[in-house]
Amino acid sequence: MVATNGAGNGDALVRLDGVKKHYAVTSGLVLQRNIGAVKAVDGISLTIFPGETYSLVGESGCGKTTTSRMVLLVEPTTEGDIYYEGRPLSDINRDERKSFHASVQAVFQDPWSSLNPRMRVQSIISEPLTTHQRVTKQEVRTRVGELLETVGLNSFHATRYPHEFSGGQRQRIAIARALSTQPKLIVLDEPVSALDVSIRAQILNLLKELQSSQGLSYLLIAHNLATVRYMSHRVGVMYLGKIVEESDPETLFSNPMHPYTRALISASLPADPRRQREEMVLTGEVPSPLNPPSGCTFHTRCPFATEECRTDIPEYRELEAGHNVACHLY
Amino acid sequence: MANNQTILKVEDLRTHFFTRSGVVKAVDGISFDLHQGETLGIVGESGSGKSMTAWSILGLVPKPAGRIVGGRILYQGEDLLEKSAAEMREIRGSGICMVMQDPSTSLNPVFTIGNQVYETLRMDSRQSRSSLRQKAVEILSSVRIPAPERRLASFPHQMSGGMRQRVVGAIAMARDPNVLIADEPTTSLDATIQLQYLTLLKEIQAATGAAIIFITHDFGIVARMCDRVAVMYAGKIVEQADVLQLFDSPSHPYTEALLRSVPDLDDQTDYLPSIDGQPPTLDNLPIGCSFAPRCPHVFARCEEFPPEFEIEPGHQARCWIRYGGN
Repeated sequence: MVATNGAGNGDALVRLDGVKKHYAVTSGLVLQRNIGAVKAVDGISLTIFPGETYSLVGESGCGKTTTSRMVLLVEPTTEGDIYYEGRPLSDINRDERKSFHASVQAVFQDPWSSLNPRMRVQSIISEPLTTHQRVTKQEVRTRVGELLETVGLNSFHATRYPHEFSGGQRQRIAIARALSTQPKLIVLDEPVSALDVSIRAQILNLLKELQSSQGLSYLLIAHNLATVRYMSHRVGVMYLGKIVEESDPETLFSNPMHPYTRALISASLPADPRRQREEMVLTGEVPSPLNPPSGCTFHTRCPFATEECRTDIPEYRELEAGHNVACHLY
Repeated sequence: MANNQTILKVEDLRTHFFTRSGVVKAVDGISFDLHQGETLGIVGESGSGKSMTAWSILGLVPKPAGRIVGGRILYQGEDLLEKSAAEMREIRGSGICMVMQDPSTSLNPVFTIGNQVYETLRMDSRQSRSSLRQKAVEILSSVRIPAPERRLASFPHQMSGGMRQRVVGAIAMARDPNVLIADEPTTSLDATIQLQYLTLLKEIQAATGAAIIFITHDFGIVARMCDRVAVMYAGKIVEQADVLQLFDSPSHPYTEALLRSVPDLDDQTDYLPSIDGQPPTLDNLPIGCSFAPRCPHVFARCEEFPPEFEIEPGHQARCWIRYGGN
């Protein structure tokens, strides 16, 4: 399998190499037999560079969140390995694991459920900090104040509870919490889709500013292509546990190659009644990952599918510099 | 496609909630017309009153806290606010129907799809089991449910979200309503499934000539689906126009800012102009223009409540900067 772009793997922050996550499906009460596997993630490779945003797009069930959970070490991989600063995560010891958790943080979709309603903002933000470092109470207070100001809130907000804030402000608190351990990578799982439309741009801009001022890398999970284009340096399109196309956003959205990418772009409705996209209404729905179609998993919905697509798995290869596609059409 | 006959006319509708912490003016003096065969988009953020507008039309305002305190809702010339509960029930079945946001909660999980389709059909007249069945199959195949005969025996949990939402749509259209209210029907669906659903809705509309009120926060959907648009902010319609007018010359600062703050897939930008501040809480609104605290063009006059100014025929905006042809 071809690795990602040609920038060299030496300076990669995180690299996934043929990573798979299969969940066993069992049957029987006592003697449980494996009757199959849900291939949530089925062999993906990608590289995240320092200071860059890598985005995974795709529809629900395509494995983008499972991928992010493996990067966060919440979920072990079934096969393949994840490298952090060149070291495989499969053979790090307890201490290294702890420092890894400090340098990779996450911001989740729903700021109503990701903040504990019974904790004050001060404790929410300082929890990762006190877990990972020895700090005095005074230091904690100063640091929390600084963090709140970094994300556009005020230090006096520290004594309040989450319910006293609006959605956008809560998401700022979640970002402050992620920043508290001075991470290098933040996993952003649909960071704005639960927010009001007029608030989204604020949060996206804040994330961009933080990236350039602190040199952060992001792994962005999103389904809104326009948001992805605005935020990303590299984009991977996922379908049924596989990356089917990967490129920089400029190339991907102006010259999409994989039919699924083209369908996704066609389904992304422009906010302009005069603009028409290539019409590509897909028939059917995403098949179950428990029993994925043979050959190219997209062939059941692909308008260009041929006999070859039904039988042979397309190779994931670089068609032009930095543009990888897995499709028999090319 | 739309002809000029007005099927639904909302005049100065006010739906207020009386709570311990004060009066929440969820809908506060909105007026609009819906013509036959037309699609009207109501756009706004959460809490702007767009869903409560729909519930008010259907007579489903949560009681006792909520009450319609003023205005008229004229459906085919008759005021719905003067109808009895039984009359409203009949209108909800056959005249005005609604598709809610989340198909997994609007279908009953313990009844089969068939049962839920029959329930609606039975409201029309007493029918034999076999004719009910035949009609149900027809309706389900009109929304492209594969193998509809077998699907009648399925339970909602055995179907995907997209299919469930099509069933909800089928039930809503079962008795040929004149008005369909769709409250964010695609937010829980994936992008490619959303496109399928929107295309289907357009086809059904072309076939039946129903008028649609489409409630959404997505300008992409508005651009694709709607003939006219009403933009709501804090319980009021701040701008109303034909879809091309709205996108060509947004005339309220809120509409303008909102359109600019949405990232565009066809355009590489480095910075999105965002709207400062938060949407207001409805129990403590400013006396003048509700958007004034977040507005970049705010000036002294904004402390007064702005009337509706006509920008061009069919295009109104509630903003003082439009006063005197500015």
